[in-house]
Amino acid sequence: MRIRFFLAILALCGSVTAINAQASLKLPETVKVSPAALNTEPICDPKISASWRKAQEIEGVKIRESNLCSPDNPYLIAAAVKGTNNISMATLMETNLSPDAIIKTDDIDGDGDPDRITIKLEVVELNGKTPDFEGVLPTFDIAPGVQPGAWVFAPKTSGMSTENFESIKANSLLRLPSPVIRVEVGDIVQIVLENTHYLPHTIHLHGVDHPFTHSDGHVAGGDGVPQTNEMFLMPGESRVYEFQPRQSGTMLYHCHVQTHTHLAMGLVGMIIVEENRPNNWLQTLNVGGGHVRYPSVAIQEDFDEEFDLHYHAMDKELHEIIQKYNDPRLIARDMNRLYDITDAKEDYFTLNGLSFPYTLRESLVIAEPDQKIKLRVANTASEMVALHTHGHKATITHYDGIEHNPIAQITRDVYALAAAQRLDLTLNTTNDGLHSYGEGIWLFHDHREKGITTNGMNPGGNVSAIVYKKYLNEIGLPMGLGVDISKYFTHEFHARKLPIWQDLDEAGSLGAPGVRTGFDPEIQNTLFNLLGGFIVGILIYLIIAKRQTALATITGVTSKLRSSKGDKANG
Amino acid sequence: MAKKSLFIAFLLGVITLGATAYAQQDTADHSDHEMDHSEHSGHDHSEHDHSEHTMDHDEHDHSGHAHSSDDHKGMDHEHDHSMHMHGEHEMLHGDDHSDHAGHDDHHHHHDGHIMDHEGTHIMGQNFDKLPSSCSSISEEIEITVRAGAKYAKKFPGTTFAFDQQQWRVKPCSKITWHFVNEDNVRHQFMMHGLPRYLYHLGMFHLENTGPRTVTGTMIVPAADETYLVHCDISQHMEKGMKAQLVVGNGGEDIPSIPGLTPYVINDVYEAEDLPKVSDKDDAGGKKKDSFTKQITDFFNDNVPFTGLALIGLLFGLVCAPLFAKIITFRKKDTPETA
Repeated sequence: MRIRFFLAILALCGSVTAINAQASLKLPETVKVSPAALNTEPICDPKISASWRKAQEIEGVKIRESNLCSPDNPYLIAAAVKGTNNISMATLMETNLSPDAIIKTDDIDGDGDPDRITIKLEVVELNGKTPDFEGVLPTFDIAPGVQPGAWVFAPKTSGMSTENFESIKANSLLRLPSPVIRVEVGDIVQIVLENTHYLPHTIHLHGVDHPFTHSDGHVAGGDGVPQTNEMFLMPGESRVYEFQPRQSGTMLYHCHVQTHTHLAMGLVGMIIVEENRPNNWLQTLNVGGGHVRYPSVAIQEDFDEEFDLHYHAMDKELHEIIQKYNDPRLIARDMNRLYDITDAKEDYFTLNGLSFPYTLRESLVIAEPDQKIKLRVANTASEMVALHTHGHKATITHYDGIEHNPIAQITRDVYALAAAQRLDLTLNTTNDGLHSYGEGIWLFHDHREKGITTNGMNPGGNVSAIVYKKYLNEIGLPMGLGVDISKYFTHEFHARKLPIWQDLDEAGSLGAPGVRTGFDPEIQNTLFNLLGGFIVGILIYLIIAKRQTALATITGVTSKLRSSKGDKANG
Repeated sequence: MAKKSLFIAFLLGVITLGATAYAQQDTADHSDHEMDHSEHSGHDHSEHDHSEHTMDHDEHDHSGHAHSSDDHKGMDHEHDHSMHMHGEHEMLHGDDHSDHAGHDDHHHHHDGHIMDHEGTHIMGQNFDKLPSSCSSISEEIEITVRAGAKYAKKFPGTTFAFDQQQWRVKPCSKITWHFVNEDNVRHQFMMHGLPRYLYHLGMFHLENTGPRTVTGTMIVPAADETYLVHCDISQHMEKGMKAQLVVGNGGEDIPSIPGLTPYVINDVYEAEDLPKVSDKDDAGGKKKDSFTKQITDFFNDNVPFTGLALIGLLFGLVCAPLFAKIITFRKKDTPETA
């Protein structure tokens, strides 16, 4: 009876071992993520009308064609060129601008364009905290589902901060980066900063000719530095920054309050002083940067197209502070005293406020053969950018707005931009093996490899492309010969949940592996040891509990042996 | 016994909850926002309105000489200056609500939406359309709402606010709102949840692009309801510019109104070891005597287990039997009454 029980345990052990040995022979199958399980966005924003791409005339402003997936709103361009005071209410209503956002008056030098320019900017928070629900608002994605908290200078808007009553998405004027401002040499410019934010801010005009202070005190704005020049501009207050620039060039404007955090938060934009020309109506704001659909007279003289390229980077931890607290005092505490920028590292890398794949929507440089294209590049990250153009070597004509000696100008394919540096590049698309290698879809991106990631996920970051028209499809996307890009337009890709290599071949040989059926070898060993110990334990128990029987058996056996010995001896 | 301890736990819970609610509201001046405008509107507004008239006239006087740099020199306030930049534009007379027809040239009409060249909005205005639940207008009242950063000063942890956080009106009231922006930035008075057959998207909205007054009229339905009023500029509502209009007995309170209703999601506040005057004495070489140190440590909240916590513990120990007694007393009580 006892022996039968013992044998049964042994048999069980044997069979389990056999099954497991078989299972460990076969590795798990590849698990394929179905496209239906993904939160996929349309590659082009369906709310943007296709008619915006066409060349058109609004309010007498001839706006260039822009074959991008997300072209700039042509009504906004018309308003930026004419000023919100010189357009019809109907046009204004298409822009969301406040009627006093851009005021243009007084042709002082009589050359056919207005010379008094007033630009009103508000300070807007994106992806901020609310005490009413978990989540952020108004939302602005730099890539699908990626929503770092940010602050921007935004043109003065009208109405709701969101797209509409039902949406928590920011309206199209409230976005990264702060808008590109264009003024003309000799203009009397007033930038009116209206602090709609809950923290103090100022404007510092970096590189733009501006007075330290207005001696007559008629406006308070100066250099924007609270420690040397002017007071903090508190919430609810406004301040005028007046200047009359004497030199042209690609410059910057940024907040100079706690600059180590406020600049990175997004309170920085490009300001371009254009050369004075007759009848030179400028596109005062280029919201979102990128293609300039109404270039200045001077640019039209020398170039076929013009693009504004604003590179920026963000440290995730800094941008989460405004999503952690609602109380401005706690935000100020973390920003000013707890956050240590010397321990920081950048996680998000943007071109014109967006990361790949959104850069494809609006920051492509669309080219044709034998063109001269002006690229104005600014780096507002805290580290340098090593911008590289595939298929092209461009010429650096200006550093920080100043023309480099034409004989000494350098043509190269990696352009180093220190923090806050601006370069003007001339991209020549002549196919000569030097300036251009011919038509195609040629990437341009930061060649510090982290710059082509979004929080470490590649492809991402500030990747965009020079795309020749021949390679552009009807909705303004590059007709790539490579992989399907739709999977990058999912939240799951950026949330690290999409094994993008699952579709490289039919078998999915580089997809995500599933789990083992049965036990994996480690658990199997553990169980085997456990079972072994258990059996030994039972044996020991049996020996102790039944020691009398055992002893009796043993004595019986020995006595038998003895008796047999005795028998033998006797015998 | 088990019942007793449960009861004590319940009591403690109620006390804690009460304390929390109090903590969220302790900054509020209740007398201020409990004002009933349907009664006080008369004399309240005659004063305010008067001051507003003067203010608007000032703006008009200056609007003529914008863009002349000589004029700028005479101005002390940068804010004023920015307002005078666009003198050529028609200004909306905020208090000039009786004469909208005359302004058609300058106003844009769109779904009952009026905007002038100053950016002043009136949306969802309703002078005469009765809600289906009302047979007549119960009363006509005027309410002045002031908006600005200065009204947030009495609510720590906020930045912008209205001068009041709650208004009470009778059902079917016809309300004329005078929205006075006292900041040099844009503010809005936006009401949600109104009947959509009368108000586009259920909204009534007034907006000022700067320090001006705008006036709009609307009629509330008969139902007891509480309507959200806020400024929709990014973070203005979150940082304090939020209020409610209570019609009749009102409905459910709107959350996160400064001093009135608690936040849904609360921040965590941690004590910081910030320098104090007493610490400064230490640094100056003037050492605290041990007795003073003991006393200050006793009341110092930053020490993990303070003297005050000890007192709390003692209080708890003393009170526990007391609670127990109350319960036993009740228990005795119940059979007697039964």
